[in-house]
Amino acid sequence: MKHIFVFDPDKCSACSSCVMGCMDQNDIDLAAGDVCYRKTFDNEIELADGSVYCAYLSTACMHCNDAPCIDACPVGCLSKDPETGFTVYDNTNCIGCKSCAMACPFGAPRYRKSDGKMVKCDGCNERVKNGLQPACVRACTFGALTCVTEEEYRQSGSNKACNALIDQLNLRKKG
Amino acid sequence: MTELEKKIKAKIPGEDTGIEVRHSLCAICSPSHHCGVDCYVKDGKIIKVEGTPEHPYNHGHLCTKGSALRNYVYREDRIKTPLRRVGERGEGKFEPISWDEAYQIIAEKLNAVKEQYSPHAVAFLSGYCKWYRPIFHRFAHVFGSVNFGTDDCTCSASMVIANKVTAGTGAGPDMAHANTFLGWNFDGYYSGHLSVLGVQKLKERGGKVIIIDIRQTPASKNLADIFLQINPGTDGALALGMAKLIIDNGWADMDYVEKYTYGFEQYKALADQYPLDKVAQITGLDPEDIYEATKLYATNGPACTNFSASALVHHINGFNAHRAIFCLTALTGNFDRAGGNVPNPATYLHKPAGFKMREHEFRSDRYPGGQERIGAERFPLWNAQFDEIQGMDLLRQLEEDKPYPVRAIFALGMNAKMYPETDKLLRAMKDKLDFFVDTDVFMTLTAKYADIVLPACTSVERSELKAYQGGYLVYTKPVIEPLYESKSDVDILCELARVMKLDDEYLQKGYEASLDWMMEGCGLTVADLKKSDLPVKVPAAKWPVEPGKCLRDGFKTPTGKFEFYSTAIAAIDPKYGLDPLPSYYDSLADQNDEETRKNYPFYLCTGARLAHAIHSRTHETPWLRSLRPNPTCEVNPQDAARLGLKEGGDVELYSPYGSIRVKVRFTHKIKPGVILMLHGYTEANVNVLIGRDHLDPYSGYPGFKGMRCNIRNVQEG
Repeated sequence: MKHIFVFDPDKCSACSSCVMGCMDQNDIDLAAGDVCYRKTFDNEIELADGSVYCAYLSTACMHCNDAPCIDACPVGCLSKDPETGFTVYDNTNCIGCKSCAMACPFGAPRYRKSDGKMVKCDGCNERVKNGLQPACVRACTFGALTCVTEEEYRQSGSNKACNALIDQLNLRKKG
Repeated sequence: MTELEKKIKAKIPGEDTGIEVRHSLCAICSPSHHCGVDCYVKDGKIIKVEGTPEHPYNHGHLCTKGSALRNYVYREDRIKTPLRRVGERGEGKFEPISWDEAYQIIAEKLNAVKEQYSPHAVAFLSGYCKWYRPIFHRFAHVFGSVNFGTDDCTCSASMVIANKVTAGTGAGPDMAHANTFLGWNFDGYYSGHLSVLGVQKLKERGGKVIIIDIRQTPASKNLADIFLQINPGTDGALALGMAKLIIDNGWADMDYVEKYTYGFEQYKALADQYPLDKVAQITGLDPEDIYEATKLYATNGPACTNFSASALVHHINGFNAHRAIFCLTALTGNFDRAGGNVPNPATYLHKPAGFKMREHEFRSDRYPGGQERIGAERFPLWNAQFDEIQGMDLLRQLEEDKPYPVRAIFALGMNAKMYPETDKLLRAMKDKLDFFVDTDVFMTLTAKYADIVLPACTSVERSELKAYQGGYLVYTKPVIEPLYESKSDVDILCELARVMKLDDEYLQKGYEASLDWMMEGCGLTVADLKKSDLPVKVPAAKWPVEPGKCLRDGFKTPTGKFEFYSTAIAAIDPKYGLDPLPSYYDSLADQNDEETRKNYPFYLCTGARLAHAIHSRTHETPWLRSLRPNPTCEVNPQDAARLGLKEGGDVELYSPYGSIRVKVRFTHKIKPGVILMLHGYTEANVNVLIGRDHLDPYSGYPGFKGMRCNIRNVQEG
C-alpha cells in the first residue's frame, strides 16, 4: 500500500521533535558533520500589508511520484519501493557526485562527509513495512506530521474539502 | 543486506533482531509531566526512544526534549566515578575515588561542621530534580539541619503560595468542560506539550481561546481567537483592569462573590483605580481588545484559566500579578466549578492522582527546629507558607555569616546558574565553605566547585515511584544498568545515612520501605507495583476529581472564603509593606531612576521557553544543541536597525551587575524595547545580569523575566 506524508502547517510549531525522532532512528552523527534528513523552519515572512506571518514548517524528502533524483543518479542508487511508494536508495555504488541533491527541488538528499556517500530520508521504509510509523511522524506530538495510505489520504482529502466548505458557508453549529 | 540486517538497521523490535522494548519515564523536564517512554534496548544499550502508546499519561506522545532522551543519557560529560577535588575550587581537577572512601569523607566532614558550628551550618540543596526530595528532605532533618532548599525558591512555589493565601489551594483549568480558555502565558507547544491537545479539542467543539503573552508564539498563531501581546511585567494591571470591566459591566457572578469570597469591597476599590484607558496605556494594548477579551472570558463561561509556574512570578511584581489573575476566577464564579478552575491537590511530587500519600509527613515529621531557616527574616511570607529555605538569601548569609554561619553544602544537582549574580555566589562558596559535596549526572559548572562529586544515574537507569493523573502509580524498572559507577540518588542518600549511622528507621531501610510508608492506605505496595511495567490504577484513587468541594466545605483559608483580601498576608508584620490586596506596582520599580533608565533602556526577559531547552539541562545535549548552536538573544528588527546590529552578529548584553557575549537574532515576535535571552548557558549565563536584590518582596523570587539591560555590538575576532 502506497504511503503519503501529510503536513498540516496549522498544527506545527517547529518544535523539532520530528528532527529528534529522525536523528534517533538514523543515528545521525553530528560530531562527524552529518546532517539530519529532516529539518524544521521557524521563519517570519513579511507580507505586503506590513504584517508578519510566522511560518512553522517541517520538511524532508517529499517522496515525489516522479522523483527527479532517481533519473539524476548515474549509478542507479535510487528507486521507488513498489510497496510503500517511498523513494529509497542503496548507496553501495554511490560515487558521491551529488547529482541527486542538485536534481532535487527540495535539496533532500544529503552528502555524508564521513564516508563520502549520499544519504536521505527513505520514509523509514523498513519501519512502515513492519507496521510502524516513520520515526518523525511517531515523534510529532501535535499531529502536524502524519503518514497515511493513499486510500486514507483520498478519504481525508474529501473530508477536508467538505469541512472547509462548511466553514466557508458559516454553517457550523455554534456553542 | 539480508532481510534480518535490514530489520536490525531499522531497529525493528523482535526476537529475531534481539531488540527489546522496555518501559521507563523521561525525567528531563518538570515532574508535572514525566512522560512514559519505550526504550528500544539491544545488548544492554538503548538504541532508540519513543513515547509509550499505552501509557495513561502521555499516550505515546513525547516532546522535543524527550525525543532526544537517548542522546541525553549517553552524553560524554557524564560523571563516571566518585571524585575528589585536587585543583582549586572551580578548576575542575579531580581524581577518582571509591564510593566507600567518598562516603567516609562526607560523613567525617559534615559531622565536623556540625560539631564546630551547628547542624544548621550544613545546607542541603537540590537542583531541578524532584524525584528524590522526600528522602533528601528527611535526610536533612534527621541530620539536624533546618536548611533544606531546592529550585522551588525560584520556580513555581511563588504561585503555589499565592494560591494558598488566596484560596487555600491552587486549581487547574477544567478544559474538558470549558467554553472559553484564558491562556495567560500559555505556550504548550514549548512547555507541557500534552496541554495543546486539550485546547485543540476545545476549539473543535466551538470553544474560544484567549492568549496573553509578551511574544507571538505557536499558540498565539495556531490557537488564539484573541491574542493580547502585552507589555512585559504589566499583567497585574491588566488583571485589575479586567476586574473593573467585569464589575462595571455587571459580568461578575455576584451570588458567588457574596457567598464564597472575602474582601470584595476592598478589591473593588483597588480595581477602580484601573480604568480601561489607564490599563491600555500601561499594558500597551488596544482598549477594544482588552474589552473584547474580558467580555469573552466573563460572559462565554464556563471559562478556565491557565497559570504559569514561572512566566509571571519571575517579575518582582509577579506574586501579586498572579493573585490578581487568580482573583478573576472567583469574580466570574469559575473557581471550583465545572469548566472553570478546579482544585486537584497533588498526590505525590506535584502530580495529582486522586488519592492521598504521606509525602509531606515523611518530609516534615523529623523537622528539628531550633533555628530560623535561611531567608526567614528577609522573606517572612515565604517562610510562613513554605517549609524550605528561600535560597535567594544564601549569598548574603554566606558573605555576612548573619544570623549564623553556613559552612557546608551537601547538594544533589545544585545549579549555581539558578542564582542571580551567579559569579558572586560561586566566589562566596569558594571562599567560605569548609566542605561542598555535589551529586550530578553531568560535570556542571557548579560541580566543579565541589570537594567531592558523586555520579548519579538518569531515570532510565533506576527505579522510581511516580503518580499520574487518572489515579495511577508506577514503580519503574531500570531499562539499562547504571552507566559507569553511577548510582540512583536515593540509594546514595540511604547508603550515606547508613555510613553516618543517622538515627532513622526509614533512611536505614531504604527507598522502597520509605515509599511503602508514604503510600500506606492506597491499597497497593511497592511489591504490587513491581508486578507491572506500566502505571496501574490505585484502588483508593477517586478520579476524575469532582468540583465543588471548597464551595461545599469551605476554603482552607482563615476566613473559610476565597480571599480577595488575604488575611494571611495581613498577618505579616506591616514593616515589610506587603499588601493583602493584589495591588500592582512596576516590575522595574527598583531600577527606574533617571540614570539607570538612560543607561539600560531595554527590558530583559530571560528564560522564555523554547521547545528544545529546559533550564541548563539540554544545552550540552548535542542533538538539542544543534537546533540553536550558539547562545543567542532576540531583539525586534526596529531596535536592531536603530543600533546597527547585524543578524547573527556578536553582541554584548549588559546590566549594572554583569555582561555576557552572545549572538543576536532578529524577530518580529517581540515588541521593540524587549530583549529575550534563554538562560542556563555556562559560557553565556544571563543570570549574572540579574541583581541579587532584584527580588519580589512577597516570595523572594528574582525578576528573571523583567530586568533592565542594554545591548551593544561587539567587534568580531
